[in-house]
Amino acid sequence: MSKAILTDITKCIGCLKCVSACKEINKLEMDVPRIWQKNDGLSAENWTSIIQKPDRHYIRKQCRHCLEPACVTACPVGALHKTEEGAVIYNNDICLGCRYCMMACPYGIPRYDWDEPVPYVRKCILCYNYIKEGEEPACTKICPEGATIFGERDELLKIAHNRIKENPDKYIHKVWGEHEIGGTNVFYLSDIDLGFLTYKTHLGKEPLEETTAPAMKSVPFAFVGMGGFMLGLNWIIRRRMEMSKKQNEPGGEKDE
Amino acid sequence: MNRVQNTKLVLWLITGFAAAVGLNRFIFGLGATTNLTDSTPWGLWIGFDVMGGVALAAGGFVITAIFYIMKREEFHPLVKPAVLTAFLGYIAVIFGLMFDLGLPWNLWNIFIHWNFHSPLFEVGWCVILYTTVLMLEFSPVPLEEFSRYAKVRNFLIRYRFALVLLGIMLSTLHQSSLGSLFLIMPFKLHPLWYSNILPVQFFISAIALGLMMVAFESLTSHWLYKREPDTELIAKLGKATVWVLLTYVGIKMADIVLSDKFALITDGSRESFLFISEILISAFIPLVIFSFPKLRKRNKAQWIASFMVVFGIVFNRINVGGLTMLSATGDSYTPSWMEITISLGVVSAAALVFLFVIEHFNIWDLKPQDPEASPHTAPSFDYSSRVWLGTPDIASLTKYSLAFVISFATGMALMPEKQLHGKGIEEITVSRSSGKDTLLINGNRDDCLVEFPHKEHIARLGEDNCSKCHHLTLPGFKENSCWECHYSMYKTIDFFKHDWHASAHGANIKCDNCHINNVQREKETAKTCSECHPLYEFKNADLQSASRYFALSYTDALHQLCVSCHVVKAYELEKQNLGQCSSCHSAEVHEHISENLKWEISLPHFNSVILPKIDNEIIKTEISKDEKENINN
Repeated sequence: MSKAILTDITKCIGCLKCVSACKEINKLEMDVPRIWQKNDGLSAENWTSIIQKPDRHYIRKQCRHCLEPACVTACPVGALHKTEEGAVIYNNDICLGCRYCMMACPYGIPRYDWDEPVPYVRKCILCYNYIKEGEEPACTKICPEGATIFGERDELLKIAHNRIKENPDKYIHKVWGEHEIGGTNVFYLSDIDLGFLTYKTHLGKEPLEETTAPAMKSVPFAFVGMGGFMLGLNWIIRRRMEMSKKQNEPGGEKDE
Repeated sequence: MNRVQNTKLVLWLITGFAAAVGLNRFIFGLGATTNLTDSTPWGLWIGFDVMGGVALAAGGFVITAIFYIMKREEFHPLVKPAVLTAFLGYIAVIFGLMFDLGLPWNLWNIFIHWNFHSPLFEVGWCVILYTTVLMLEFSPVPLEEFSRYAKVRNFLIRYRFALVLLGIMLSTLHQSSLGSLFLIMPFKLHPLWYSNILPVQFFISAIALGLMMVAFESLTSHWLYKREPDTELIAKLGKATVWVLLTYVGIKMADIVLSDKFALITDGSRESFLFISEILISAFIPLVIFSFPKLRKRNKAQWIASFMVVFGIVFNRINVGGLTMLSATGDSYTPSWMEITISLGVVSAAALVFLFVIEHFNIWDLKPQDPEASPHTAPSFDYSSRVWLGTPDIASLTKYSLAFVISFATGMALMPEKQLHGKGIEEITVSRSSGKDTLLINGNRDDCLVEFPHKEHIARLGEDNCSKCHHLTLPGFKENSCWECHYSMYKTIDFFKHDWHASAHGANIKCDNCHINNVQREKETAKTCSECHPLYEFKNADLQSASRYFALSYTDALHQLCVSCHVVKAYELEKQNLGQCSSCHSAEVHEHISENLKWEISLPHFNSVILPKIDNEIIKTEISKDEKENINN
């Protein structure tokens, strides 16, 4: 059921049609260089971008739509949520603007409307309104080279592994997004290392939710435990005070 | 009692100034007031106001635990101020958070939309609940003054033990959960601070900070009102802090050693320096001071040590809250003066309320009096302002309001125009050029001065059209920037770099080298690339026809040289591949492309590219014309 995108770096020619198609379909405004932007081309008005690397490598950057997204775990009100179709979408009606999602994302994807007095978090939503009705996202639809394609997640994974099998010398034997932090819905096939897309070259296989889950699970225990501990402590101390009072009384001497 | 009055005056000045900045924040947005960026979305306001603030308010639950749970009756004088500090601290945290949240009016959503997986959800709930508990814990003190509410007061006092217990339980949760917030960022947070037991470290350090904040606050307020400090009590707090700090440092160092991170402390990086100074200030030096029984009983030593713990652990919160993530994100962040002002303003406002409560309610055994405010002193002029400020009982109030109003106005007046724009782009700076009616302007706020022929613009646009650039009703806005009319300036992206061509460090050419005068300067009216770059030549291409094409952009211009013919040939020879992008942009570039162009195609020429909204209509019409001609030939 879960849909995905497969981007083949070796096929991309950097024509930027995906970028303009994305801007058009999401009705994004003109992008003016701002001091708060990162130098990867993504911004509140640019939800996908092409990063150029030496030897004609063009890497399309976009939201990875993780299977177990850190941003969804982080959001205190659930303004971000993972749909059945695989897209991670954003509900701006309930967003608080705490920007914890931006802090949590290991790929540094979500962007913010810093210049607006009523700011929202902006990122790729996998053209959710279109894929919901069985259509394709604008970026994959327009790609002239078939470098980025859309389909079922399982099928795309098969395609990716087939491509590696057929051209073992062409690709690095890894499908980016298959396992990293629990897997993503956006895959990359590449002949160069794509570690620069994240803050750390090697993300583990564990979803990021696993890092906070133990702490969150122990919350009720810590709550009750601390209450019990304090009550117990109080009981012991009171009892001790009573005992010492009783001991002191027969002697007729009082410390206090 | 000038000490109190001067302190209050300074606090009022800061509050007034911060109020002006705060207003600015809500009108013009976060980008206008903060130095936050897409890679550093949390800054000083989270690190200090929220994380530091919550930790600073830990004194409330620590002291109530000591007094009500452990039954140490001697700490009674510290209980009321500690609960008051905690209550005001939490109010300040929530108030400060309002500035940081992008959509603070949506905060109530946290009551309706629950996400149990989010540590922030838990922190939010706990903070709100605990603030309520603190209010109930503290309200018997002000209610004492109103005999009408004696029943409510008695009720609250009867259930005080339950409230205290609930407060401790809630504090345990959110003090530690503030650490859990950062567990989800293992790739960003520096390994010296990242740890699976971050919540535990946060909780223990909050206890130490709570103890020392009570000491620090007690010493400072007693100094302010010239009262005898509770030296003995604070020495006892110091002794307790030693054990807490030892546990804290022990756990922290054990965790670092066990996870093989010890080498990071001495690797000489910025983070190692931050770590060493943090540990020294927050733990080691205070530990040394409090270990000597003689030193422990001296007020100055107490004050220094408690301040160091307070500062050091708040520093720890700032480090975890973003400062040590900068090396991973490759960003740089220094808080803007507006961020600092608002942080200071929130603290000052809380301090003012604290002083007010101390003076008007029964916090200490004796309410401290402001002698100048008593009606028995002789009326006097204020020497600083030379103005009659009213009768003595309201003179100080007049002075404070005056301070607030003046600093608020100063804040408004000093607000830089750049901040008011809030666009992250420099404002226009205009200066006369040597020519009579030509100005040098920073027209696009990109620090690139260009000659602006004012007269020509008037002639072209007509006398009535001044408002196209001037007198736009935007606040603080001087003139429209160039790109709002010459809109393709930032649109001509892909291969052709307009900025680079215009900049002094790039091609360093004047506008009229490419743009014909007396016509609006747009990409449609500009020269073709080949006029300046004759080397981009095709062996088999017809350069004559190239000059007819408009220079849409570099890429478009170059594309048209090939694509127009390719499309026709693909049609004629029935070779579909010939018309596709990959027929040129593939591993093997075709022979008839010149060496220069091959080199150019393979260059990593544009890094990140913005908005390629190509005007397809023009290409289409040109191609169709060309097709016809070619077919005719």
